[in-house]
Amino acid sequence: MIIIEPGSHLRAREASLFERSESPKETKQGNIPKIQGSQAPHLSSPHPPLRSLRRSRYTSRNNQHIQMKHILKIMALVVAISAIWISLLETSVIPRSYTWLLPVYLIMSLGCYGLLMVGVGLMLFPTCPQEAVLLQKDIGEAKEFLKGKGVDVGSD
Amino acid sequence: MELADKAVGCFLSAFSLTIFIYYTFWVIILPFVESDHFIHGYFLPQEFAILIPVFAGVALLSILCVFVGYVMLKSKAKKKKQT
Repeated sequence: MIIIEPGSHLRAREASLFERSESPKETKQGNIPKIQGSQAPHLSSPHPPLRSLRRSRYTSRNNQHIQMKHILKIMALVVAISAIWISLLETSVIPRSYTWLLPVYLIMSLGCYGLLMVGVGLMLFPTCPQEAVLLQKDIGEAKEFLKGKGVDVGSD
Repeated sequence: MELADKAVGCFLSAFSLTIFIYYTFWVIILPFVESDHFIHGYFLPQEFAILIPVFAGVALLSILCVFVGYVMLKSKAKKKKQT
């Protein structure tokens, strides 16, 4: 059976963070500090490479295109439903006093449905109490380790 | 902590279900019930069935607009204080 000590991965990460942060003065640009891992990959070059710039512009335009089509779909649905409703009213199938009742009723029921889904989601939210305890222990260990190394941990 | 969440969720769903059932009764079932039934005493006259949701919707929209405007003004003031 494999026994994993809960704080070990945190300790390894803090150790590596500390080793990295002790050599900021040796970079060529002088004042730019070295940041951990994936946060700043392009600090040495002045611009991002051209291929990634072109790709980001293409995906954002594609995204706008997709949003445009989605809105058009929704508006078409709304126009269709209102056309049906107005035709039903005009041909006297439904008495005129009902003009506003059905749309307001539909909107109200949509709001109620949304609220119901939020309530049900809140009630059925999965919590993991054991993980919460382990997490608190990890946080305590990390704080002690950092305080031992001299880093200011902040609020307590 | 989770008990408070569950309680709030339960209250929300019960509230929305009551509102939905009351409104369904009011708008759909009550017009087909004859005028001197006792149940008509428990529901407001039918004009309110439109007025109250419309009023609530307008109030909600205006509160949202006021909130958005307030946040925008506050961020502009903070930016002006920084520079």
